Amino acid sequence: MNKEIEKLLFNPIRLKIISFLINVEHGNFKALLEITDSTKGNLSIQLKKLNEAKLIKIKKYFQQSYPTTDYSITNKGKKNFEDFFKQLELYNMKK
Amino acid sequence: MNKEEQIRIINKTIAKTKFALKPLGFNLIFWGFLIISMSLFQYFFPEIVQFNKYSALIYWVLIPLLGMIYTTYYNIKIGNKIGYETILGRVIKIIWGVFGVSWIVIIIISLLNNVNPVQDILFLLGTTLMMSGLIIKFNKITLGGISLIIFILYTYFVPGLNFLLVNVVGITFGMLLPGLALYLYKENE
Repeated sequence: MNKEIEKLLFNPIRLKIISFLINVEHGNFKALLEITDSTKGNLSIQLKKLNEAKLIKIKKYFQQSYPTTDYSITNKGKKNFEDFFKQLELYNMKK
Repeated sequence: MNKEEQIRIINKTIAKTKFALKPLGFNLIFWGFLIISMSLFQYFFPEIVQFNKYSALIYWVLIPLLGMIYTTYYNIKIGNKIGYETILGRVIKIIWGVFGVSWIVIIIISLLNNVNPVQDILFLLGTTLMMSGLIIKFNKITLGGISLIIFILYTYFVPGLNFLLVNVVGITFGMLLPGLALYLYKENE
C-alpha cells in the first residue's frame, strides 16, 4: 500500500474523517466536528491535508445567505481507504 | 497509533454515522394524518368538497401539493441540522421522489380516463412502503406496505366500496401506525 496514504491515515482525526466520509454521500463541517471530536482549527488543517492528497473534495456554496462547505470522498480516497482497510483485515486475520 | 486502535476508530466512526429514522417516521405520520383527515372530511361533508364538478379534484391536488411543499421544507431543514446524508438516506429520498412523480402521473391519467385514482395510488404507496421498510430493515413498515398491497388487491375484486373509507383503512394500517412505530423507535436500542 502507498506509504504516503498510510502516513496520512495514521493520524486519528484524518482516519475518522475518511471513515465517516466513506459511509456518507457528503457531510458538512459541523457534522465532521461532531464525528471527530476535534477543534475547528485542527479539523480545518486535517481536511486541508486530505484535500491536498486528493482523498476528499470540497464544495462551497451559499445556503439561505450563509456560506456552507460540504465534504465528500473522492474515488482515489475510496480506493485508498479500501486498500488500507484490507491491510488492517489481513493483520487482524493473521493475529 | 497501532492497528487495533485504527480498527477501533474506524468501527466507532461508522457506528456513529447512522441513517436518522425519525424524519421518515414524521413524514409517514404527517401524510397519514393528512390523507385520513381529508378523506373523513369529504366523507362527512361531501356537500362542501363536491360543491361543483372540479372542487373535489382541486381539494385532492391542492392540499397534497401544499403538503409536499411543507415536507420538502421540513426534510431540507432536518438534512441541514444533521449535516450529512447517508447512502441509505439518498436511496430513500430517491424512492419517495419517484413515488411523488408517479403520484402526479397517476392523477393526470385518471383525470384523462375519468377513473378514481385511489386504488392505483394506494397500490403504489404499498410497494413504496414495502421497499422502504426492507431497505431500512424496519419490519413494521414492510408489514404495513404488504398489508396495504393485500388490502388494495382485495378491493379490486369487491365492487361498490366507498373509496374514502378504503383510503382511511388502508392509510391507517399501512402508513400511519407503522409511521408512529418508526417515530417512537429508539434508535440507540
